[in-house]
Amino acid sequence: MIGLLDRSLRLVPGVAFIAALLVAIEILVDRGLINRVLLPPPSVIGRTLYDLLLSGEVQGPLLATLGLFAVGFAIAVALGVVLGLLMGTVPWVDDLLDPLVELVRPMPKAALVPVLILFLGLGVPMKITSIALASVFPILINTVQGVRSIDPVLIATGRTFGWSGARITLRIVLPATLPFIAAGLRISVGIALLMTVLSEMLAGTGGLGAVILENQRSFRIRQMYAWLVLLAVIGLVISWGMTVAERRLAPWLEKHRR
Amino acid sequence: MPQGSVASGAPLRRARPSREATGSAGNGTLPGRRRVSGYLLVVLLLLAWELSARLGIVRSENWPPVTQALAVAATSLAGGDLLLALVGTLYRMLAGLVLGSAIGVLVGLALASSRWLRLTVEPLVELLRPLPVPALVPPLILFLGLDDGMKITVVAMTAFFPVFINTLEGATSVEPTYRLVARTLGVPPLRRMRAVLLPATLPFIFAGIRVAIGLAFIVTVVAEMIAGDAGIGYYLVSMQYAGRAAEMYAALFLLAICGFALNAGFLRIEQRILHWNRR
Amino acid sequence: MTTMAGSQALHTDPPHRFGDVLVRVSGVRKHYGAGGDQRTVAIGEADLEIRRGEFLAIVGPSGCGKSTLLQIIAGLSEASAGEVTLDGRRVTAPPPDAVYLFQQYAKSLFPWRTVRRNVTFALEHKPVTAAERKRDAESLLERVGLGEFADHYPWQLSGGMQQRVAIARALAARPRLLLMDEPFSAVDALTRVELQALILDIWSSSEDLTVVLVTHDVDEAVYLADRIAILGRRPSRIDDVIEIGLPRPRHAIETREDSVYLKHRHALLNRLLDRPL
Repeated sequence: MIGLLDRSLRLVPGVAFIAALLVAIEILVDRGLINRVLLPPPSVIGRTLYDLLLSGEVQGPLLATLGLFAVGFAIAVALGVVLGLLMGTVPWVDDLLDPLVELVRPMPKAALVPVLILFLGLGVPMKITSIALASVFPILINTVQGVRSIDPVLIATGRTFGWSGARITLRIVLPATLPFIAAGLRISVGIALLMTVLSEMLAGTGGLGAVILENQRSFRIRQMYAWLVLLAVIGLVISWGMTVAERRLAPWLEKHRR
Repeated sequence: MPQGSVASGAPLRRARPSREATGSAGNGTLPGRRRVSGYLLVVLLLLAWELSARLGIVRSENWPPVTQALAVAATSLAGGDLLLALVGTLYRMLAGLVLGSAIGVLVGLALASSRWLRLTVEPLVELLRPLPVPALVPPLILFLGLDDGMKITVVAMTAFFPVFINTLEGATSVEPTYRLVARTLGVPPLRRMRAVLLPATLPFIFAGIRVAIGLAFIVTVVAEMIAGDAGIGYYLVSMQYAGRAAEMYAALFLLAICGFALNAGFLRIEQRILHWNRR
Repeated sequence: MTTMAGSQALHTDPPHRFGDVLVRVSGVRKHYGAGGDQRTVAIGEADLEIRRGEFLAIVGPSGCGKSTLLQIIAGLSEASAGEVTLDGRRVTAPPPDAVYLFQQYAKSLFPWRTVRRNVTFALEHKPVTAAERKRDAESLLERVGLGEFADHYPWQLSGGMQQRVAIARALAARPRLLLMDEPFSAVDALTRVELQALILDIWSSSEDLTVVLVTHDVDEAVYLADRIAILGRRPSRIDDVIEIGLPRPRHAIETREDSVYLKHRHALLNRLLDRPL
């Protein structure tokens, strides 16, 4: 109980600071010190968001964005972890794929979107490919690195039980690599969301990215900010979900935290 | 290092300061041993690309022979649109990276030095961090227009977070004995900050910058794609509209080379400065 | 004012020299955490006088608050009650002429600095030129036997050598009071003997150096110290201060075979092991 109270007490200065900031912006806009055309007062943005949520207009773009993100990210995770484990444990797979990975990795993946548009058009397949392609690398690299840094004693332990290679990989290598995978996931999740929004913006159709850009171009500024806040909330929820998932998957990491 | 499995933390948190220096840009940059099959695979893929285009197996305007794309890349280096676009992109990226990293280090050190400041500011940062950067471009266009100022700001905001988070993490986990040593030797607080806190945090700062480089590169291209009429991002999008595939692939090749060079160059600098960081 | 007179007198009366009181620890208590059940008492109540120029050892079972007491004397930690005075002045911050030497050399040397620059670290905030600093550091490194290693980094040195660097750095601050927290407990037995000899040599060849050594090693305490303060178990207090009275200079082998040495060692071990005398 005391711990809980203590923790919520610690939030007070931070929440107060954010509130103060919002009030300050409100006042500055009200006094005309910030152009209200460029930045409407927070209260107006809040109001717009509220109306937006009630109108039911939100559902379509929201689900589109979330769906894209979820599918793209899931593909990246599956691909990254499986390939990473293979590259980490099977030398010839590593030899075969490592140079290719190293060639593609340093490229800013966002640049691939126009090329993918050429081949796949503006639809969902292009978007999902962009997302998966961009976010797979941090997972892949971290997984390989995690496998490589496993204490050989752990694997030797498995051998003394007479376990097969596959069993050792699943029962020992994978759990021991989880902290690294988790670190990779945390980087990828941000990139995946970034690519979701970008691909929507470039395609000009579908989810939140397209809506935000469209609102800006047609100068519906209040709406633009309202959608932006919505997107920020999504980002926050996903990031929070990652933390929870990480705790579930690798609770022993907890001790490394402050 | 006190923690065993350091990759523990967050995204950006601790990509592993010390040894992973070789890790992230790492292992693969050392071709060394075997790997013959891997290079063979790359060559074969390029060959397949070339032949499929030349022999008409894949018949598409989007699929020029790879040699044609390489030729465009090569000639562009002598001057012309592509080179100009690339130079502009690199300039915006580096400017944003330097700006964002510098602010990240300063804010990180400041927050590390005061618990109150940390409690006050950290929630705001955590709130803003998960916001996908491309979404920031439209509102920033309103304030800063379409030019370099806007793009550099977006890149700086991107670079800020990983550097800030790593700096804060590093500065709050400095070996406590260091501070006690400085105190018992009578070193005044400001000098303690410069001579103890900063060098002790440096491995973390570098780890943060390493992450920031990759993100900054992506975001520069992204900002150019969404807004404005300059840079590789714009070049790519306009070549896509124009259906000039060879130019697009040429731009991609150059981007990959630049990305590789940036990583390798940074790694060199890092190893030079952090040569003492062995454990 | 009396202390000032004392220090004057000392200069005319070199080597050993039990002068007046340099440090007075009176009624020092230390506890952590809030009141009530959660409170951990580190030091029950400690009173101690440290004489100018002496070599004092503080021994006690582990966890008795020896290091905490030393940190309070060094001004690195605040007492919950009571006070420490150095030369009659109350210690509230680390005094410039008292230097603390840490047990874990690996954590006290800066890995990003060479050996020489680790030593000059003690001087960089003082009004001396870079050339002087360098000369000072080099002569101190010579003094601790590391003249050739000035340009090495700490990780290139063995544990014993690293602790020598830490000693050189402490000396660079020109302390009158050297507070050592189990400085030799993390090195191997032979290195320990060498470091003990080094410290004895540094102490006996200086005019006005007072050394306080915290240790749980009874042999070390008897071999090195003029007096030994015994810290009891929790809630700890200074149980007793005994005079050793072994002749100086002491010798790494002969002194340890002296009957006086053996007598003290026997009695101290009995006390620390809680056995009747």
